Amino acid sequence: MGESVPAVPEWPGVAPPGRRDEWFENIAGLPAALQPLREEILANLVLLGQIPAPTGEESDRVRFLLDRFVECGLPEAGEDEAGNAVGLLPGETGQRTIVVVSHLDTIVPRTVDHNVTVQQDLITGPGVSDNSLGAAVVSMLPVCLQKLGIRLDSNVKLLGTVQSLERGNHAGLKFHMDHTTLPAQYAICVEGVPLGRLNFFSIGTIRGDITCDVRPEVSRSFGSENAVVVLNQIINRMLKIEVPTRPFTRISIGKIRAGLSYDVEPDHAELGFEVNSHDDAMIERVRQELEDIVSEMAARHAVDARLDCFFQRKAGGIPFSHPLVKQALMVMEQLDIEPDQGHSPSELSEFIARGIPALTLGITTGEKHRKKPDHVMIEPILRGVAQLIGVLLAIDKGNCDEP
Amino acid sequence: MNRDQWLAERTFHHSNFWDIKWLVQEKERQGLTISLCLPALNEAATIGKEIVILKSELKDRYPLIDEIAVIDSGSTDETREIAASFGADVYLAEEQLTECGDRKGKGENLWKALHLLKGDLIVYVDSDINNIHPRFVYGLVGPLIRDPDIHYVKAFYDRPLAFSTGYRPTGGGRVTEILVRPLFSLFYPDLTAIIQPLSGEYAGRRSILEQIPFPVGYGVETAMLIDIYEKMGLSAFAQTDLDTRVHRNQETIALGRMAFGILRTFFNRLTRQQRLQLQEILPTIMRQHQVDDGKFKLIDYNIEEFERPPIIEIDSYMQKFHPSDVEVGS
Repeated sequence: MGESVPAVPEWPGVAPPGRRDEWFENIAGLPAALQPLREEILANLVLLGQIPAPTGEESDRVRFLLDRFVECGLPEAGEDEAGNAVGLLPGETGQRTIVVVSHLDTIVPRTVDHNVTVQQDLITGPGVSDNSLGAAVVSMLPVCLQKLGIRLDSNVKLLGTVQSLERGNHAGLKFHMDHTTLPAQYAICVEGVPLGRLNFFSIGTIRGDITCDVRPEVSRSFGSENAVVVLNQIINRMLKIEVPTRPFTRISIGKIRAGLSYDVEPDHAELGFEVNSHDDAMIERVRQELEDIVSEMAARHAVDARLDCFFQRKAGGIPFSHPLVKQALMVMEQLDIEPDQGHSPSELSEFIARGIPALTLGITTGEKHRKKPDHVMIEPILRGVAQLIGVLLAIDKGNCDEP
Repeated sequence: MNRDQWLAERTFHHSNFWDIKWLVQEKERQGLTISLCLPALNEAATIGKEIVILKSELKDRYPLIDEIAVIDSGSTDETREIAASFGADVYLAEEQLTECGDRKGKGENLWKALHLLKGDLIVYVDSDINNIHPRFVYGLVGPLIRDPDIHYVKAFYDRPLAFSTGYRPTGGGRVTEILVRPLFSLFYPDLTAIIQPLSGEYAGRRSILEQIPFPVGYGVETAMLIDIYEKMGLSAFAQTDLDTRVHRNQETIALGRMAFGILRTFFNRLTRQQRLQLQEILPTIMRQHQVDDGKFKLIDYNIEEFERPPIIEIDSYMQKFHPSDVEVGS
């Protein structure tokens, strides 16, 4: 039978003669125009997804991204000192620089089988939604623009960042932003899922561990107990911390680890927690209270208890009325994407904290899991990529600049 | 070319051919076309990934291969639908060359691929590879593009990166080491230089593949080696290390049936070459045991190991590929 891929309609371009802003209408034609690149995008997703990249071990994914940047002819591609993959697509005038970023690390340990499976409508594998797909799209962006014949006035700086998750605390991105010689005017963070995600503010967050170690027997004073019991006391006190509903504030206890066996009193226990708030002052107040609780419990129960806040993200963002948000919504409407606005736990906060208007966008529908492989749906991916290109075009045309 | 010389000069690593851009340029300079054939039977779990990666990297990004075709033996899962959705040409083997009838087996698909595909070089890659990578193709066509004296390239899988002593044994799987290599040692010593004679990935020039018979079943890999060796000698071969290949592992009992088919293929060739005389025709029944409800049973498997003739003996093939050689009125 010998079936072949149907012919693809030619994309009319971004600026039809005489109709300056009609490029928005043409956005709707982008997914079809991107169709010939579908397998390349999917292949990048599979190949990246099969490279293990727990935080701190992203170098193979960095290599992959850089190879792609070089293959598609980016004049500048290389690792920065922090180990991020950096590629620069120079603009015609270079009047603006837009950062398009995706984190390369995943929460999946290297020991997990990273096999990725391609079915007719979905792709399954560990970390494919968070964030192999985002990285695959960043790696393909220059090729997509090239094949569509889009030449931007703005520079596009492509970033695959390292050390983003957990204790990484966006270390790679922070380093890059603090040391770059080409400051950005806008940024777009690319995440695999969900399509429609439109994040333009980030909620203030701290994450930390509380560890509790029982001192050796000889030094135990009256009242010392096993580590689990002491940690339990700490948790009880944490639950009594008063938090307001406005500004929204929340304390979450996410994980606990302690104990070896039924008949051995544990001498070590630890918990992981997260505090979120729309107000950084509230976060600081909770952090102070936690410090007091931990210090008091350490003294009262004669244990070494410590609080380690290793992750901090400032609250903030751009207002809904910002032209970047409005333009993104218009692009989504053209592509029949239902927007889902909210705060983002992604790299967004690093840009916001530096006064750079930024968004987080999702590429497709799917699910991410902690205990089984993620999946992403194939069909919406081209709309997700089209959305990214549409927002880039809106920024490039100056439509997102504040009056 | 003796065995040691061949082993030294004709054993490659896929990294020798990493420069795909050069391969494309050289292929175009030589005016070659390359076809990739994926024989399949119920491979829905892996076929999509194989096509996405090989098409993306070796057809869309670098135009090394000119066509990708899945030749299907009648899958009952979604193999054909998935393959077509990612842009492969999909053929149901039983619907092709119908004048020759229908036989089931991988060899049947490989043989019919010669008629269906247009390439001067044909690459055969199994459809059950979990860790598919472009090297599975460029590592095999690389030697053919680089050296016109090489006509057939066989894959092997090894990883000689770290070992504790000065040498270590290497080789193929269970059937190779227990059956095929002893047989090669007895009857075709030159072919013992081939590290994994039963590997499912290989590439060849149409000009030789069209001249050899194809057993439709288990014996197709062994037969190719013996028949090409018989026509061209060891110097026509090369082999490429493709590192690791992750795929389903077969149970020993299934390998027993495979060994039976290979033995039949061997005996066919030994008698054809008059190196062995059998007093009677070999039976086609392989018997294996099974315990059913506490009782032992003998199960009969009919492994005929039917062979397709060289495809140049098929009229429709000749009309398609060698029309000038077809006699008028024949």
